Amino acid sequence: MAAPKLKIARVGVIGSGVMGGGIAAHVANAGIPVHLLDIVPKDGANRNAVAEGAIQRLLKTDPAPFMHAGAARLVTPGNIEDHLDRLAECDWIVEVVAENLTIKQEVYKKIDAHRKPGSIISSNTSTIPLGLLTKGLPKSFAKDFLITHFFNPPRYMRLLEIVAGPATKPKAVEIIRDFCDHALGKGVVDCKDTPGFIANRIGTYWIQAAINHAIDLGLSVEEADAVAGRPMGVPKTGIFGLLDLVGLDLMPHVSKSLLATLPEGDDYRRIYRLQALFEKMIADGYTGRKGKGGFYRLAKGADGSRVKEAIDLNTGDYHVAGKPRLESVEAARKGLKVLAEHPDKGGKYAWAVLRDTLGYAAALVPDIADQVTAVDEAMRLGYAWKRGPFEMIDQLGAKWFADRLAAEGRAVPPLLQTAVTAGGFYRTQGATVEYLGTDGAYHPIVRRPGVLLLSDVKRAAQPIVGNKAASLWDLGDGVACLEFHTKMNAFDADLMGMVKKAIDTVTKSYKALVIHNESDNFSVGANLGLALFAANVALWPPIEQLVDQGQKTFKALKYAPFPSVAAPSGMALGGGCEVLLHCSAIQAHAETYIGLVECGVGLVPGWGGTKELLTRWATMPGMPKGPMPPVAKAFETVAMAKVGKSAHESRELGFLRPTDGITMNRDRLLADAKAAALKLTKRYTAPEPPVLKLPGPTGVAAISLQVEGLTLQGKVTRHDQTVIAELAKVVTGGDDGDHIDPTSEDKLYALERQAFMRLVKTEGTLQRMEHMLTTGKPLRN
Amino acid sequence: MATYKAPLRDIRFVLNEVLAESDPLPGDQEFDPETIDTVLDAAAQICEEVLQPLNRSGDEEGSVLENGVVRTPKGFKEAYEAFREGGWVGMPCAVEDGGQAMPRLLHNVVKEMFCSSNLAFGMFPGLSNGAYVAIRHHAEETLKRAYLPKLATGEWTGTMCLTEPQCGTDLGLIRTKAVPKGDGSYAITGTKIFISCGDHDFTENIVHLVLAKLPDAPEGIRGISLFLVPKRLPMADGKPGVHNGVTTGALEHKMGIKASPTCVLNFENSVGWLVGGQHRGMRCMFTMMNEARLSVGVQGLGLAEVAYQNARDYAKERTQGRSVAGTKDAAKTADPIIVHPDVRRNLLLIRSFTEGARAMAYWVGRLLDEAEKHPDADRRVAADELVQLLTPVVKAYLTDQGFASTVTAQQVYGGHGYIREHGVEQFVRDARIAQIYEGTNGIQALDLVGRKLPQNMGRLLRRFFHPVDAFIQANASDPKLTEFVMPLAKAFAKLQQATAQLAERGLKDPEDAVSGATDYLRLFGHVVMGFLWCRMAKLAQAKMAAGGDSDGFYAAKVMTARFFVERVLPETDTLFRTVLAGRRTLMEMPAEAF
Repeated sequence: MAAPKLKIARVGVIGSGVMGGGIAAHVANAGIPVHLLDIVPKDGANRNAVAEGAIQRLLKTDPAPFMHAGAARLVTPGNIEDHLDRLAECDWIVEVVAENLTIKQEVYKKIDAHRKPGSIISSNTSTIPLGLLTKGLPKSFAKDFLITHFFNPPRYMRLLEIVAGPATKPKAVEIIRDFCDHALGKGVVDCKDTPGFIANRIGTYWIQAAINHAIDLGLSVEEADAVAGRPMGVPKTGIFGLLDLVGLDLMPHVSKSLLATLPEGDDYRRIYRLQALFEKMIADGYTGRKGKGGFYRLAKGADGSRVKEAIDLNTGDYHVAGKPRLESVEAARKGLKVLAEHPDKGGKYAWAVLRDTLGYAAALVPDIADQVTAVDEAMRLGYAWKRGPFEMIDQLGAKWFADRLAAEGRAVPPLLQTAVTAGGFYRTQGATVEYLGTDGAYHPIVRRPGVLLLSDVKRAAQPIVGNKAASLWDLGDGVACLEFHTKMNAFDADLMGMVKKAIDTVTKSYKALVIHNESDNFSVGANLGLALFAANVALWPPIEQLVDQGQKTFKALKYAPFPSVAAPSGMALGGGCEVLLHCSAIQAHAETYIGLVECGVGLVPGWGGTKELLTRWATMPGMPKGPMPPVAKAFETVAMAKVGKSAHESRELGFLRPTDGITMNRDRLLADAKAAALKLTKRYTAPEPPVLKLPGPTGVAAISLQVEGLTLQGKVTRHDQTVIAELAKVVTGGDDGDHIDPTSEDKLYALERQAFMRLVKTEGTLQRMEHMLTTGKPLRN
Repeated sequence: MATYKAPLRDIRFVLNEVLAESDPLPGDQEFDPETIDTVLDAAAQICEEVLQPLNRSGDEEGSVLENGVVRTPKGFKEAYEAFREGGWVGMPCAVEDGGQAMPRLLHNVVKEMFCSSNLAFGMFPGLSNGAYVAIRHHAEETLKRAYLPKLATGEWTGTMCLTEPQCGTDLGLIRTKAVPKGDGSYAITGTKIFISCGDHDFTENIVHLVLAKLPDAPEGIRGISLFLVPKRLPMADGKPGVHNGVTTGALEHKMGIKASPTCVLNFENSVGWLVGGQHRGMRCMFTMMNEARLSVGVQGLGLAEVAYQNARDYAKERTQGRSVAGTKDAAKTADPIIVHPDVRRNLLLIRSFTEGARAMAYWVGRLLDEAEKHPDADRRVAADELVQLLTPVVKAYLTDQGFASTVTAQQVYGGHGYIREHGVEQFVRDARIAQIYEGTNGIQALDLVGRKLPQNMGRLLRRFFHPVDAFIQANASDPKLTEFVMPLAKAFAKLQQATAQLAERGLKDPEDAVSGATDYLRLFGHVVMGFLWCRMAKLAQAKMAAGGDSDGFYAAKVMTARFFVERVLPETDTLFRTVLAGRRTLMEMPAEAF
């Protein structure tokens, strides 16, 4: 389904700090031109220096706020004295200036004087109520005004909280919601005009509760983080690690603003504590990763290696960070309740944190949000919780939770009581999930138009076929969806077998195939661990067989009588990239990271990756004539194991064709892919085999010259030379390559396979594979 | 009476031909071929003339405890003196400590001779070497200066004190206590058992390395520390002074190695010094243990060798019955029993083991040298990793097959093997311990499957599997070698499959994997032997083709290789199946049904 026509063609962002710059960058990522305005510096000739400096900073920031270099060119810097007239061009103006009502209102007056009628204004405030922001401003302004609260960094954090005031016209809210959903890819959550909105209200409370209980129960920083991390379904950094990440110095500001605005009797006031140690850490510059360190720091060990140290919460001294072994953490695999019931200190800690946080959240609906779904979504998207607070209560059992609260003499919030009576906050009725409304009745969760989630499809049906590595699902309208579900979605023989099975099944009974999954990463390539072990015991035939099986399968996918559309999100590396390259089309989530990274582990792509990339470059419009240009392009990308850091960058590297699509909102990816597949089914014919005229040995010589230069500069390691030599043979068509006689596709497959097998027998490659598996980083040997 | 002649011809074959392709190492020039020959001849002489004649009497007499002091059998003290004088104790020790800095390879050769001639005697210098290595690697400088020269010169001997009445394999359970005395030393109190050479009358002092727990020690294996505790505290001039509260409570009455005193040692507030840092005892212990495990493997080889020599001689002399194929020696009333196929089968079983085991033991010795001295850092690491992988195989395979060899030799004697007179029953009894101490062979198998296999995603494995694969690839098409290489290729394929299967099972169900561990280790050992036998056959064929086999040595080598690949290596088929039989057949029976 096509996205609705956007009503926002140009955006103004006022304030170019970390958030303002990030928002401007992300709007540009969507292809929308942005005016970024900031103040005129007191001194200096360049009156745009602040905004210009912000753009320069954005270009250097890691992780990158821009999805590709071209996006930065869409951001026009200016200042709020000379360039206010530019706001007349903008359909949406976002205010991201200091959290100071007077300053903000000054800015609003300026905006209002220059904006075009009907344009929408929003504030990125996280602390000032909307009612105050518009106080005293014309009604015509208030009508077009709302709060859009982004999370940092705006490109990567999916949550966007929207708050509309009583005067805000519904149409404005709808336009912004659609824009942020479709163009910016955000998960938009409607909030009420209450302090901290949803995510920070609960998140700040959660952090405070977790700190307090760690200290009160005598847990070390490492122990607390080991419990309040993965075992609780929240980010693995844990609380102290999270504070190091966001900066300790941020917390006093958040607390201060919350305390200034929270209602009397709010439980946060009760649990709020100033920690002398934390104040000292901030004063001494121990503000976290951006400072000298925080609760953790990296110190130099005696042998010069880097040692992770953790702070002692009692003494403030650092020690070598321990790896706590808590039975409760082990037991947590069996579920959240097992963790919360465990008698050791980890279990006690988990319970105390859950009790306070979930109880607090349950008491806030409907004050901060109309429904529990908004709260759960906000915590999932804004704080990267695996489950929201109400979903966690369901994991524990609403009755169990309420009973335990009561047993400890704590108030049972009315909404929780309702859930106890009803039997939980969520229930599944056939294919639909229903949530418990504040009215005590269940209501179906309705996805927005154009949202299709594989998890919804799976809930409603059995797979068409499947094994332990992958499953094939029916998306309706004759489209099937192949889902990988191995660890990291790595390819093994089972997964490859299922790709083959999917081809057979779709050929017989369906019109098109979509390849998609909802994991963090589409696929990280072949299962290196299996390959390494086989290689270590010299079991070459099964390795070669897997290479061969993959080539045959991907070739069959490419020439199948039906169209296939891959819909990746996250990493699509190695084999995960090669499967994409063999599909009829790719519909990529904007946050897709594609690369043929095999050289990093001392191999060359074995499943047609080099061949497909060569083909893409050879058929790219506007490529210079002659056999070398596409060879050079493909060689460089594969030899350097380049990974596109976004779908856009992946397109620049040639992995995405000009005709392949990009979807900003992950929830819309599958629907877009399905639509693309259906479009292709009209008069579909399998592609013609490529005609590749490759230079052969003369190309190898040209590449060697180039590599020699790099070797002299010390950029090519000893084993790089071996790997590069093998890749050069493949990419030039081998000894028989000839720029008059085309090299066949099968010949290229054979060259890839032979090079792969030669490399996998070398010590250097095996060292690289092992290093990657044990450290996650490439070895430069 | 048993006899022994050092098998110098075969020793030189392994040293000079099988291991000839190795790269030269720094320090090797000190041990040029002439020097090595001199060492071999001298070692053979002391073994044949001094140690072997005491083997039987030492067994009969045994070490005894009298008035709290251990007395070794008659002649042992004098033999030790001669041994020490000859510099044999400090063979592998550094020159600066008074040792010979002899390559490990050569040390393994000489150790084989000691074990063949008098295993119980060989225990004493063996333990001193173990203590020397642990102190050299882990102790502080002052301790090193005080003790290393004493151990290297054999002026004092060493022990390793691990076992206690309540714990052997599971050392996390030890109770011996170490209390800091405030002056950097510790007061050690506790009881250690099964301490080989824990007390004796060879030397004035003994250096005990003792595992104990500090007061604040964590539970289990991560809370044990190693201490150096001398029997007598050295005085300022280095001479032994006052006794240090170490007393011998009793001697064990054993099945074999009777001349070696196996002591119960009581430590009472004995002064000790920490070696290798607090709670780091296991690390230090493993340095000693890995050395010791390789040495124990050589014991299996040594006893099999001497058993073979005696059984061979007996089979040639003893006449009984006539050959099934017709009378061989009509002048006598019966043919020598060596005409009988089964007697030959027995002899060839032993010989195909000893000659293969010799190549294996020396190869590992050579790898130890490479791991220490090879100029290329990658090669050092690779050699060390191969040693790590092969250590449990050398220990368990060589001692299991070594023991089996002594029994097979005994069998050649018939009833005469069961009586003491011929001395072959002593080899059986002496060989038995090697399967048990330094980690039972069951523990070795666990080490191989549970630790060495999965280590670094199988990296250790490739140090063995790749050379074997390369050898097979390179020689499979040579028609002269087909009869050797094909059986090896088949056995190797079984080992590859079994390894991959165990690794996969180990991830899902460790108990399933370790249920095949002992059979897997044997399978592994057979393949190592098969690999070495193929290489030896290839070398021997080349020599014969060049016309250099006047004494028939190479022809016999090829025949022995043929025996191994046709009559021993096929056991890998059975082992492959039993390895993969998995946990069920071992674990389904409830304990009470036993």
